[in-house]
Amino acid sequence: MATSMMRTFGALRSVTCSSLKNAELALDVRHPGPLFLPVRTKKRYFIPPAVGLKGKKEENPEAMAQAAGIVFRQQYFERPINIACSAGVFDPYIPPEGDARLSALSKEGLKQRTEQIRQSAASQLAIRKIKEHDSEFSTKTFAEQAQEIFVEAHNALTHFNREMLHSLVTERCYPEMTRGNRYKTIRWRFVESLEPPRVVHARCPEMVTKGNLYGQVTVRMHSKQTIAIYDRFGRLMLGSEEQPKDVLEYLVIERHLINPYSRWRLHGKIVPSWAPPKDPVIKTVAIPGPELNPWEEYDALNYKVPKPASIQWNK
Amino acid sequence: MAAAMRGVAFIRNIVGSLHLRLQILGGTSQQLSCLHTSISLDSKHWEKNNRKVYPPQLLDEPRRPAEVYHSRRQIKYSKDKLWYLAKMIRGMSIDEAIAQLEFNDKKGAKIMKEVLLEAQEMAVKNHNVEYKSNLYLAESFSGKGKYLKRIRYHGRGMFGIMDKVYCHYFVKLVEGLPPKPEQKTSFDQAKDYVQSLKNRTIIHSL
Repeated sequence: MATSMMRTFGALRSVTCSSLKNAELALDVRHPGPLFLPVRTKKRYFIPPAVGLKGKKEENPEAMAQAAGIVFRQQYFERPINIACSAGVFDPYIPPEGDARLSALSKEGLKQRTEQIRQSAASQLAIRKIKEHDSEFSTKTFAEQAQEIFVEAHNALTHFNREMLHSLVTERCYPEMTRGNRYKTIRWRFVESLEPPRVVHARCPEMVTKGNLYGQVTVRMHSKQTIAIYDRFGRLMLGSEEQPKDVLEYLVIERHLINPYSRWRLHGKIVPSWAPPKDPVIKTVAIPGPELNPWEEYDALNYKVPKPASIQWNK
Repeated sequence: MAAAMRGVAFIRNIVGSLHLRLQILGGTSQQLSCLHTSISLDSKHWEKNNRKVYPPQLLDEPRRPAEVYHSRRQIKYSKDKLWYLAKMIRGMSIDEAIAQLEFNDKKGAKIMKEVLLEAQEMAVKNHNVEYKSNLYLAESFSGKGKYLKRIRYHGRGMFGIMDKVYCHYFVKLVEGLPPKPEQKTSFDQAKDYVQSLKNRTIIHSL
């Protein structure tokens, strides 16, 4: 009897307590809040941390550890870095003036056509060195291989396939190809090759230590390509998808010869000094005007826009 | 004894019904909390809008205007005070907005002007906007930042918690001319009023 009464009273108390809370909750169903149980020792106020004490600054923890007798092993702050490509194009190939402009039937054209790689002794040496390390290398098949690498690399760029791009393109060339392109859509198409690709130049530079050989081979390619770059909002920025252009390119393909698992990858392009100017971007760009002193005025008629010097540069 | 038993049963019924109500309440709270499942305090969602890439447009589509999102976080200013400035420049072209803020005396005006200039530069450099004046403010608003709390001492040993106030400022620039607000003539407004009176239906009438 007493126990049952106790039980009822206990149940009643808990029910009344919860009923009070639930009545509150039932009243405002729109704000379902957390159910809080009455706990006597719960902290209900908030005191922000005192700003004054910043904590005494500890003296050298190293000195304290030494005084305590703890000895630390010598810590080497080293991190191994693997360099898989060289920094640039060594001894770049200087393409002759008017390379693709002269027809094969004229005398100058014939002279150019009969330029053989045998003329350059350094290139021959380099090719011999490459053949030491890579037995399957041959100038005749390599040009085709280079073109394939080029086409695959640019296809990977359109789809932005990072892994494939890294395997087809060296680390030096990768940022040059992809800088600023992350939020853009690129549509590139290789229409056809106008002339068979040719190996024109080869060098075997060494980096850092002697014997760390890299092989750089320059391949000349004349082909038709279409490119169209769209910006973030799908508006055309450069080029057009239907109009193909004739492109004469000098590609530099590189391989780390010492490493048996290395591959031939695109390392850069050589842009000759006599190259025609590229197509303009579909956008008006402001050219910075001349620097004037405070008393001078801008004379629009007599001001000529300075043209950049035409030098060969490696891309 | 029987009364006690009946009492227990009665209480158990109440408890059962209340439990049901609690479950319903708990269920509704779950349903309502689905609205904000993925937003946390540290997520910077406004800047992520700049990463959205649209597919290339076809030739017959109208040219899509460029949108640039920019913000500044944890400005030492009140969000309510900044709201007045943000509301003032909403819908203005960017040159007009910068001019108004330059000659405004409030502290938030200087910060907002810096934000607008940064956003304009970003638009021209990174988002392929052709003319830097061809932008207008589509959205501009302020939000609450993370406050620091300090003690403010009152008399008689009482204290209050002082908030050191911080705010965020968000801005969205869109390329093009600012949209003109629709201006209704008084005759049109009167006509609409009369039409709304005529559209009334009288229910439960003969």
